[in-house]
Amino acid sequence: MRMLKIVALATIALGITPGAAFAQSKVTMWSRSSSETFMPTLIKTFNASHKTQIELQIVPNTEMVQKYAIAAAGGSAPDLLSLDLVYTTAFAAAGQLEDLTDLAKSLPFFANLSKAHVGAGTYQDRIYGLPMSADASVLLYNKRLFRQAGLDPEKGPTNWAEIESYAGKINALGGDIRGFYFSGACGGCNAFTFMPLIWASGGDILVDGGKRATLDTPQMRSAIDLYRGLVAKGYVPEGARTDSGANFYGGFATDKIGMSPIGAFAIGNLVRNYPHVEFGVTFIPGKDGGKSSFAGGDNFVVTAGRKNMGVVREFLDFIYSVEGQSLLAKLGSLPTRSDVADEALKALDQRYRVATQAMALGRTPTSPVYNDIINSSTGPWKQMLNEVFFGNDVSGSLARAQKTMQSILDSAGK
Amino acid sequence: MPREHAVMPNTSSAADTIRPRRSRQRRKQLTGFLFVVPAVLLVLVFFVIPLCMAFWMSLHNWPLLGKPRFIGLDNYVSLLDDARFWGAMQFTALYTVVVTIAIFAVAFPLALFVDKGRPLTKFYRTSFFLPMVVGFSSASLLWAWLMNVDAGLFSPAAFRLGLTDKPVNLLAEFDTTFWSIVIMVVWKTAGFNMIILLTGLQGISAEVQEAARMDGASNWLRFRRITLPLMRRTIALALILSVAGSILAFDQFYIIADGGPRNSTVTAVYWIFSQSFVSFRLGYGAALSMVLLLILVTISVIQLRLLRTPEGM
Amino acid sequence: MSRTARSARRRWLGETRYHLVGLTASLLFLAPLAWSVLVSFKPSLEARQPPLPPWPVEGFSFQNYENLAKFGAGIWTYSGNSLTVSAMTVLGTVIISLLAGYGFSRFQFPLKNVLFVLIISTVMIPFQSILTPLFLILTKLGLQNTLAGIVCVYVTLQMPFSIFMMRNAFDSVPKDIEDAARADGASVFVMLRRIMLPLVLPGVATVAIFAFLASWNEFLAALILLTDQKKYTLPVLMAAIRSGQFGTIDWGAVQSGVTMMMAPCLALFLLLQRYYIRGLTAGAVK
Repeated sequence: MRMLKIVALATIALGITPGAAFAQSKVTMWSRSSSETFMPTLIKTFNASHKTQIELQIVPNTEMVQKYAIAAAGGSAPDLLSLDLVYTTAFAAAGQLEDLTDLAKSLPFFANLSKAHVGAGTYQDRIYGLPMSADASVLLYNKRLFRQAGLDPEKGPTNWAEIESYAGKINALGGDIRGFYFSGACGGCNAFTFMPLIWASGGDILVDGGKRATLDTPQMRSAIDLYRGLVAKGYVPEGARTDSGANFYGGFATDKIGMSPIGAFAIGNLVRNYPHVEFGVTFIPGKDGGKSSFAGGDNFVVTAGRKNMGVVREFLDFIYSVEGQSLLAKLGSLPTRSDVADEALKALDQRYRVATQAMALGRTPTSPVYNDIINSSTGPWKQMLNEVFFGNDVSGSLARAQKTMQSILDSAGK
Repeated sequence: MPREHAVMPNTSSAADTIRPRRSRQRRKQLTGFLFVVPAVLLVLVFFVIPLCMAFWMSLHNWPLLGKPRFIGLDNYVSLLDDARFWGAMQFTALYTVVVTIAIFAVAFPLALFVDKGRPLTKFYRTSFFLPMVVGFSSASLLWAWLMNVDAGLFSPAAFRLGLTDKPVNLLAEFDTTFWSIVIMVVWKTAGFNMIILLTGLQGISAEVQEAARMDGASNWLRFRRITLPLMRRTIALALILSVAGSILAFDQFYIIADGGPRNSTVTAVYWIFSQSFVSFRLGYGAALSMVLLLILVTISVIQLRLLRTPEGM
Repeated sequence: MSRTARSARRRWLGETRYHLVGLTASLLFLAPLAWSVLVSFKPSLEARQPPLPPWPVEGFSFQNYENLAKFGAGIWTYSGNSLTVSAMTVLGTVIISLLAGYGFSRFQFPLKNVLFVLIISTVMIPFQSILTPLFLILTKLGLQNTLAGIVCVYVTLQMPFSIFMMRNAFDSVPKDIEDAARADGASVFVMLRRIMLPLVLPGVATVAIFAFLASWNEFLAALILLTDQKKYTLPVLMAAIRSGQFGTIDWGAVQSGVTMMMAPCLALFLLLQRYYIRGLTAGAVK
């Protein structure tokens, strides 16, 4: 009924200024703070050209899941949501999200939408999430420091030995310049940037459809050795040990860090806010070559039972249009529709292409308890990483984390 | 201004004596009851009922979204071998003991210090108390910054003064994190305890002290024999408040240390918060709360008994 | 040296030592507060460096406050929310605890001690542990995600302390005063307002200040119970700012926020200190 009304009103009011309040349909939408660079502009552009008006709220990254869950339980959840794609299954499993399968399949370009997003957005063969914004992990390096250290600024490291030797050379520049940076007390950041090291070397963290954790693998141990070595040799700033992700790219932005695995989101951010930092983008390599990435970003999801599919369709048509995709790309998200990606990236920095390719080859681990095992600040993944990077008992830490993680996975099945 | 009795003739007391005593008493009872009704209602609706609900929830598998399922005492059973919860409890106990002693050890000398009516004493008293009025969240944000290795105060200052040969990340190891936070809490709450103890000190009559001085009792003897015994109730109050507050510590560990390094500063409340509002295991979180509650009440009762003065609290 | 001269000298030494200790200790207690306030007036870039010295070197600046003002719906909205919540909490706490304190102090009624102990003992219970059911109740009452809802919670949390305080304040008023007034035929409410209230005003001030400080600074309940960004209070905003722009902390903005949060608390305390300490003293002695 409401949809009909919207369509009718939209047809009648075509051409009338959006100021005509009676013709408007208002929906609310939340988005997390890491999308602050593109969502407000995107929504503003949408509102300017549509009868439907979206009211956007930015929620801090760390509070998004909690706020949405609580608002949902209290009946005050927003209509639409741009949700970190790893959480789609959890909310779908709780029956909180609208089934978008039919709508999705009716999109002519459905097959070209980011596989990672649709995959993470699928629960029990139904689609609950569609790509909103995309972000792939890549390795950023500082070209100025590369030049000063006598390295080729056009060539980032392609294996772990190179990472270590480049970091050493950059570190040797002295002062407070350091070779490498990562957020050492952040589960989510390191899922994003450390897991690809393992994937690129042929290992995995979650197997059997996400039912079993495999932490103690040769690939994991080698990757740990790489980071331990970087830390032990003093290539990593002291602050990294306690960085809970608040300084995820802030370290690199100081222009005093040689290399740092971050995400594509940092490209636009650095260009805009730290124009003096001259940086290159490359893939996160495997031990002896190879490459991988964490295909992340946000899924567009709809709170169940709101009966606003017309608005949803309207909005999706907008964001997947060439205009929408170009706008997203320009503001810092990667394109999510591959058949127009080149078009959308046409006017942009070459560096985005690396990230777009990374997105295509990237993986996304999913689990209904993803937050508990990986992202949670009291979770086993975060604790283990900090122990193995900076502590003394690698085997013990791995064993403990394996046990905790598996018990969480097991209890989730109950 | 005309006083009430000026306009109202003094007849009601005469009427009162005529009326049966019991009904007057009952009316007075009702009046008293009505006075406390708003407070009781508020506490019932927003505290007692939620508390009972929390117990009810603890018997369920209660996800935030979705249907709760009754599981009896299962939550309590799985709680018994939740190593992370007992780790948090152990840490909370350590923190409570250390911080209570530390606060007392600072607050008592401060109270003695500002007990004298010398010039500037008022200024000192105010300075010591001032951090108390700043909220735990602001204080934690402030100290999180002071303790930051790059942009903070302590580590860069120590480095520049040549006390350390490289910047020390205070939040990287348990010991430094723990003691930094203890210092922060002492800084913030010593003033409050000082004032409480001060009231005890000032409640001791000057004559008693003077008489003891006349008898030639030394300062220490007077402190031990007169000051301390007469202050037992005040000290008990200060300790109880301190212990109760510390067992419930959350803000500072959440904001400053994020429970780190390596989950070593996760307090009991932090763990309950994490289970309830991060993992959304509301039923399990409720069961944890019940256990914490039981421990807290037991400790308070024991404390009250131990420090009870002969005439009672 | 004469005896009087020596004792004068000793007194002078003692006095000097006293003030030396006093000033040093005061400095230690005040320094962190001063540091934060001073740094908040540095230019944004300078505020990201270690605060040595704390005062602005490259000129006094409001940059951090400007950055702070840009977040979300604007700093005035959040300050307004915080002020509304605090004012309503203070009002509610004072009225309800005044009545209850009077009731518990001056009347006998069945279950009196049970009710008193019930209210006081809630102080033992971590409110964090009942946040979830609280949230469900607020939802039922239609108060979830409203400032009024959070005020109800805050007033409740103030009850044990405030009622304890007010009862003691009333207890310390001699019964004869009341008896005299009653003999003159004053009704209970008139007596409470005209005669008792002025006498327990220090207690009221204490209760009011405590209610203000607690509600102004409270973080966790606000974080969980307020889901709409436009309803955030200052502490919740500050948490948001800390993670506002993913990947960097603007310590300057954080310190300007901390300063904004501290300022009313410090001002209020310094203005009402006398009542505050006096009230607190009366409470602790009993």
